[in-house]
Amino acid sequence: MTIYSLYIFDRHCACIYYQDWHRAQRPKPAVAGNLLQGVARAVTQQPTTALSQVEFTSPRNTLNYSSGVVVAIGEPSPAAPPIPAKTPPVSTVPMSKLSFDEEAKLVYGVIFSLKNMVQKLSGRDESFVNYRTSGYKLHVFETLTGYKFVMLTDPVTDSMRFVLRQIYTGPFLEYVVRNPLIAMDSKERGVDNEHFRQATDRLLRSLSIFSKNS
Amino acid sequence: MTIFGLWIINKAGGLVYQKNFADGLALLSSNEYLVLAGTLHGIHAITSRLSPAGRSSGVEVIEAETFKMTIFLTATGTKFVLLTSLTDSTADAALQRIYEAYADFVMKSPFHTPEMPIRTEKFDVKVAEVIKVFA
Repeated sequence: MTIYSLYIFDRHCACIYYQDWHRAQRPKPAVAGNLLQGVARAVTQQPTTALSQVEFTSPRNTLNYSSGVVVAIGEPSPAAPPIPAKTPPVSTVPMSKLSFDEEAKLVYGVIFSLKNMVQKLSGRDESFVNYRTSGYKLHVFETLTGYKFVMLTDPVTDSMRFVLRQIYTGPFLEYVVRNPLIAMDSKERGVDNEHFRQATDRLLRSLSIFSKNS
Repeated sequence: MTIFGLWIINKAGGLVYQKNFADGLALLSSNEYLVLAGTLHGIHAITSRLSPAGRSSGVEVIEAETFKMTIFLTATGTKFVLLTSLTDSTADAALQRIYEAYADFVMKSPFHTPEMPIRTEKFDVKVAEVIKVFA
């Protein structure tokens, strides 16, 4: 039993947050402009300026500028101090074929269509709860304000609705809604911030279904 | 345990058979059922691509708050969809039996054109029998 990933969508259909754990394939970084800023560092395209690629300019200057160690005295400081490349920690996880923005759109499209279908079929204001394939299970929790919390887990997991609700009433309210630095409903930025990410991570890691092989 | 209905969707996404067995869900026009079947066909294709862990089949069970849909994909690409109550645990077995009836009374019928709507009385009777056993 395990948890793969978490998406949060706002009522404008935009993905505003993403986090993943045990994915076998990481999505490719999103194409620039197709994803809001501040959704998740791991899937946002990094600016690949020449600076970030700069390696050591002098063989004697073996220390990194950002490490806070003094460059050898008398040595002319390198013209362009090497800026540490802010790439996400190198993981051995292979990339999937889909880029993240396309994947997020597909996820939203599926839950949107399924919700419509369920409402049509039942004739009531009923929401779609989860679906299962042979490889994974997708759970949805929608708030009254139109935020959709979507979680992908392995197929044998029970309903995760209560967990998604806990993320909403816990970390989301505390570190996103009550955070004056986060622009809710902005259509321009996601809601990613360190506290929310850590709190969500803690919450999910404390669940018994989180561990990869149990 | 209630079985609300059965759909059979051909490999192009067209609805070739649709029958309601119990009340509980909205009654829709045949046109609306066609649209929903087409949507389901598309969703089925997308869900197999969204897998976070290697290869995956398309969607197998969709759960709402009061009912669920169990989807059985045959090797030839035909989809059998059974709409049941949430507590139903025999949907897979029922779909197997319906598939057998389909093979015996639809595919073997000389008057049936493949991929076209199913109008075979014997199949209706057999499906009704299977539903009676499982409902």
